[in-house]
Amino acid sequence: MVGLPYDCLANPLGAVRFTFEKAVAAGADPAALNGKDWGAGDLFRDVLFDQGALSQVPVLNAKNIGHVQPNTLVRFRGMIQDMLGNEFYAGVYKDGSSWRTNKYRDVSQFPMGSSPDMHIWERHLLYCIQVPGLNPWADTSSGTVVARPVEQTSPHGEKRRRADKEDIDQMDVETSEDGIQRSSGVKKLREDGHPSQNLQLLESVAGSTGFGSCTMPRDEGDSLSCLIKVYDSSDSELKLNDVFEFIGVLTFDSEYQVDNDEFLDGFSEDMLASLPLNKVPRLHCLVHRKLAAHDFLQSTPLELKPHLVKEVRQTLLSHLTAVLGNDGLAAHLVLLHLLSRVHARIDNFAVGKLSFNLTCFNKESVSIFGNQLTLAIKDLLPFSHIVPLTVDYLNAASLAPKKDYERNRLVSGLMQLPEGTHLTIDETQLEAGTLNSVGVENARLLKYLSEYQKVEYDFKYYKMEMAADFQLLVLSEGKSTILPADLVIPFRPSSVASGEAVAAETLEAWRWYLATVRSLSHSIDSDMQKVVENDLVAARQANRNLSSQDLSRLLTMGRMMSLSFGETSLSLEHWQMVKELERLRWERLA
Amino acid sequence: MASDNGPSSPDDSFSSPIGNTLSSPDNAAARAAGGRRRQRQQQQRGGASTPSSFAATPPAHRSRLAAASSEANTPTPSRTRRRTPGGGGAGGRPFAASTPSSTDDAPPSSECGDGYDAAEQMYVWGTNISVQDVNAAIVRFLRNFMEGPTQADSIEEGKYMRELDRVFEVEREWIDIDAQDIFSYDQDLYNKMVRYPLEVLAIFEIVLMDMASTRNPLFEKHIQARIFNLRTSTCMRNLNPSDIEKMVSLKGMIIRCSSVIPEIREAVFKCLICGYYSDPVRVERGRISEPKRCMKEECATKNSMTLVHNRCSFADKQIVRLQETPDEIPDGGTPHTVSLLMHDKLVDAGKPGDRVEITGIYRAMSVRVAPTQRTVKSLFKTYIDCLHIKKTNNSRMQADDPMEVENSYNGSEDVTFDEQMVEKLKDLSKKPDIYDRLTKSLAPNIWELEDVKKGLLCQLFGGNALKLASGATFRGDINILLVGDPGTSKSQLLQYIHKLSPRGIYTSGRGSSAVGLTAYVTKDPETGETVLESGALVLSDKGICCIDEFDKMSESARSMLHEVMEQQTVSIAKAGIIASLNARTSVLACANPSGSRYNPRLSVIDNIHLPPTLLSRFDLIYLILDKPDEQMDRRLAKHIVALHFEDIESVQQDVLDLSTLTAYVSYARKHIQPQLSDEAAEELTRGYVEMRRRGNFPGSSKKVITATPRQIESLIRLSEALARIRFSEWVEKRDVMEAFRLLEVAMQQSATDHSTGTIDMDLITTGVSASERMRRDNLAAATRNVIMEKMQIGGPSMRLMELLDELKKQSSLGEVHLSDLRNAVAILTTEGFVAILGDTVKRV
Repeated sequence: MVGLPYDCLANPLGAVRFTFEKAVAAGADPAALNGKDWGAGDLFRDVLFDQGALSQVPVLNAKNIGHVQPNTLVRFRGMIQDMLGNEFYAGVYKDGSSWRTNKYRDVSQFPMGSSPDMHIWERHLLYCIQVPGLNPWADTSSGTVVARPVEQTSPHGEKRRRADKEDIDQMDVETSEDGIQRSSGVKKLREDGHPSQNLQLLESVAGSTGFGSCTMPRDEGDSLSCLIKVYDSSDSELKLNDVFEFIGVLTFDSEYQVDNDEFLDGFSEDMLASLPLNKVPRLHCLVHRKLAAHDFLQSTPLELKPHLVKEVRQTLLSHLTAVLGNDGLAAHLVLLHLLSRVHARIDNFAVGKLSFNLTCFNKESVSIFGNQLTLAIKDLLPFSHIVPLTVDYLNAASLAPKKDYERNRLVSGLMQLPEGTHLTIDETQLEAGTLNSVGVENARLLKYLSEYQKVEYDFKYYKMEMAADFQLLVLSEGKSTILPADLVIPFRPSSVASGEAVAAETLEAWRWYLATVRSLSHSIDSDMQKVVENDLVAARQANRNLSSQDLSRLLTMGRMMSLSFGETSLSLEHWQMVKELERLRWERLA
Repeated sequence: MASDNGPSSPDDSFSSPIGNTLSSPDNAAARAAGGRRRQRQQQQRGGASTPSSFAATPPAHRSRLAAASSEANTPTPSRTRRRTPGGGGAGGRPFAASTPSSTDDAPPSSECGDGYDAAEQMYVWGTNISVQDVNAAIVRFLRNFMEGPTQADSIEEGKYMRELDRVFEVEREWIDIDAQDIFSYDQDLYNKMVRYPLEVLAIFEIVLMDMASTRNPLFEKHIQARIFNLRTSTCMRNLNPSDIEKMVSLKGMIIRCSSVIPEIREAVFKCLICGYYSDPVRVERGRISEPKRCMKEECATKNSMTLVHNRCSFADKQIVRLQETPDEIPDGGTPHTVSLLMHDKLVDAGKPGDRVEITGIYRAMSVRVAPTQRTVKSLFKTYIDCLHIKKTNNSRMQADDPMEVENSYNGSEDVTFDEQMVEKLKDLSKKPDIYDRLTKSLAPNIWELEDVKKGLLCQLFGGNALKLASGATFRGDINILLVGDPGTSKSQLLQYIHKLSPRGIYTSGRGSSAVGLTAYVTKDPETGETVLESGALVLSDKGICCIDEFDKMSESARSMLHEVMEQQTVSIAKAGIIASLNARTSVLACANPSGSRYNPRLSVIDNIHLPPTLLSRFDLIYLILDKPDEQMDRRLAKHIVALHFEDIESVQQDVLDLSTLTAYVSYARKHIQPQLSDEAAEELTRGYVEMRRRGNFPGSSKKVITATPRQIESLIRLSEALARIRFSEWVEKRDVMEAFRLLEVAMQQSATDHSTGTIDMDLITTGVSASERMRRDNLAAATRNVIMEKMQIGGPSMRLMELLDELKKQSSLGEVHLSDLRNAVAILTTEGFVAILGDTVKRV
């Protein structure tokens, strides 16, 4: 950061202004900069990624939101829960003789009342929530990076913050009017003092859960949602339910008062009214990147070497076997299941899904093995979710997201999850009962999800299908009827598993393994294709009851098998293994 | 009133009300001008208007558009320069400078002399568009535009002049103007209108008022020009800053309507002390300023004025939210919405759930952080000032139906296909392999089943419905039944057709009741009246009703189908409602064999337990059987391997995508009405006779019916559908031949008598094949012989089992079951030959 006249992290708006002025000075027409980056994005990308400043940027969460300075650079990791359309703002305007920009800020910095040379630009609004089902190990926001804001809670930090503030004030030449307001805001903060401020924060969090409960019917006490304003990016890049990391300028005001006057007839006001600034921070996004499973790993990724992969696979398999009470076959299949993902869609058919149904559970065995298995999965995958299926649950839960036209918002349902989420559905608690219309709809939704990997979003006047990619694991007594799974196997534990502790590095290696291997590409050579075809024909000749789904499953298993060895093309050996697994499975089913 | 400054003042915070023709920013002067005008308008409205006063300006309180601008701050007609935030490019593009004071065309009114009556050319601010030119162009357009080819010497009046007369007749306040007409008459005017709608529309209205006064001096209403049918329709997602202050046309669905908001336009105040009524005070910048003191000089009491509600004038206003239609939403996006502002007559023109196409002006206005705060947020709220609303579909919406677009075409509105699309479809139809190509495009992931897909394709296209003068109707819809083993992707096919078809309704037999399918009478929870609710079949009128698990449907529900499938109506008589509803629907049903697997030794009817009466109403019955066939298995294996490993793109190159396919089908259904050619008719008769003849085996006395008149109707429908597939107006011989082939394939599967291997329509019409009937007769005869031999009249009875043993000794009968014997004995009983007592037979 040598030679830069501003601190990108503490005063990102200064950096934005600097680059803007540089671009204007270089002869760019300010009006033509709409939808383009004049170098601010590049600058931040350079500072954050190439110079490694990313780790110093605090990750926003419900706990530190009150401590992070507004107008500083923050990170937010979240899932796009709703898209709120575009927002028009005064992009550039002339203040006297110099051009100013409002990009990356909410409130205009200079009075622009009479500026004729004002151009309207647009930005996209995204409503993001913390990734649902994020497992604790993958939650970076609770990790080391929050050191900075925590430090600020000490009296010393307060001083520093004040100093920071002054820095900003010095650097940002403000108009007197604006400046006064700012400093009065600071004064207020100071008067409040710390303890009360914290309390206030807690209150606001509590309040936001009340609000959150209508968007997110989950019981997550300390979730934080964030309104992201994205510039210069196309719609196609950012999709619903994608998990992104946004790095940008924070606007947050816990003191903010909603003006009731303004929202008298609530309707004409837009949805932002329901997202008050004191509960939902705004983030003016400078840089965003899509997060994949391996972005959640804490350690640096390992190199993909065959022997290493084999080794990790072996340890993971034995771990799974132990968890499953020595049921090696089930462990094998669970491994394949954990590697599955939808890699193509042909019309309605989702290729690559491998939902898994472990049967023969009863209430006791679920409490032992079921819990162990879900805990193990929780430790392995970044996002997972458990659904305890009961009649009451089916009758009450809102699984599918629903559009609330009153507030013009998408109300999240339980099935609004990011791609690659692992979903454990525990059917063992299911007892005889009557489903009401909600229950029937929910059951249908689950079935549809399992068959097509799609979730129907309820838009009241019509339904919209959204592609999903969830790994479905069903625990049930008999074969599940609500969720027809691809792979069904009776669970046969032979010993009670010992809850052995796993070393952190081993866990980390497994996570890395699953994340990496799962995303490998896969192919088949023509010779192998012949072999596979012949085997399929033979299998069908032998058993007329084999449907195309069964054959499809074999191929999916073949793919997962070779991926589990880190290989990208199906070999005869692995194909044989799959056939053997399948044979054993049929034996057990019989 | 916080809201109503809103919509109408995009720039209340910083635009100046200064007409640009004036150089001094004299706010007060402008207001004063406004005040004068106000008085004038009041006179006019009060009925005291002189014929000339109309010409001065559109009475702002009536013209919504003008009102909008005046609210924004310039009540003067020569309002002008507004520094709009708009004009994302052109340096604060102006928008207003049209002076609506039409000095050129009409006799200038005296009031126009208030200082800035510009006699010289006036321009729309910042452009070289002359107000006078536009005015003249509009006059020309309105006077002269004719529909159809114009004849120079035509004495007929222009379309819009006639339209205007109609406006006078019904005392309407608006005139609908087709933008396509403007475009075809004067492209330049059209472009100006789209780019500077506020100005051009204001001029439009002045011109209309002028004309109104010349043609009908007594007509006092303000006439608003409502433009519709723009040449390009914008996608809601693509609205961007450069569209601000432009005229746009959008398609979407109304998702919310606010209640009607009475918006005050003019307020009258009364002095509480002396009872003096003030002049109406007009809305300025969305606010009405209450007079500080009584205006009566004698009184002049301070703070004594109070609002008199019943003397104020209000206008209806409504805010409506429009949402993108599902087909415009890209993958992984959520629908966008936009707010519409409706005024006056447009209020309540649409209700939530309606799909509409609207034309309006896109506007933006700045948002304050809060009234108490001085900082202006740099944000703008956008909305569309709606000019015209057109419903595209009156019928109920279907969930995620890609054919919804087509639904709207089916609607009464005469929407035409986009020319390019039509060209593309016609090109497609000329391809020699179009039939195969379409077949391939139908459910491409379902493998094989070529002939079934061809049948389904015919169903999609449909035949021609015919109504004779005598009142007899022949349905054009093709009904198809799929019977097959579990796991043969019947349901997927059904789902696919459901998605593809116009107004597809998908029901499952198990979950459907008779009334759910047809119609039921229910009490309206609000009014308590009995109302008729349509069931699935009625809702899928002119569409395809897909019924899964047909065999599991209750008997009563199934019996309702009889009427629908042949008469195409649903008649009900319940609770005082006697009605016959149209249900011109094709039925696509699928059924599982009763014994889970199809038993080839039994007839279709025995296999699926459907009454023959119903079965015969299906044009095509396909058996989708899972036969052990290595070739098939190999193809399946190949298909699955390809599905998993190959590049999907390469697998299905020459397959039409879903949208093209739906467009193709809808176009054909709408525009192609094929007729039977003589040659085809001949082929039909010949083929039919031949089919019938096949039943008469030489030297055989048994009469097998291989075709019935129902088949010939089916054949006609099929061949019409086949011609439609080719976009051909004539049914040709090859269509008929293909229809025969399709029918035969279907019959071979379903109506083949397995004991003889020939087609026997009796299997479907009665459920018993001719050979089976013969076998029964033989058995009865043999039984009679045995009984004659073994028993005497009045003698001891004989147990059935003994009789069976006797019969089994006779080798000629083959295998005889007890049930067969019972049947035979029953026949003999009816003849009065024997009597049955429990398990014993007694000769009488």
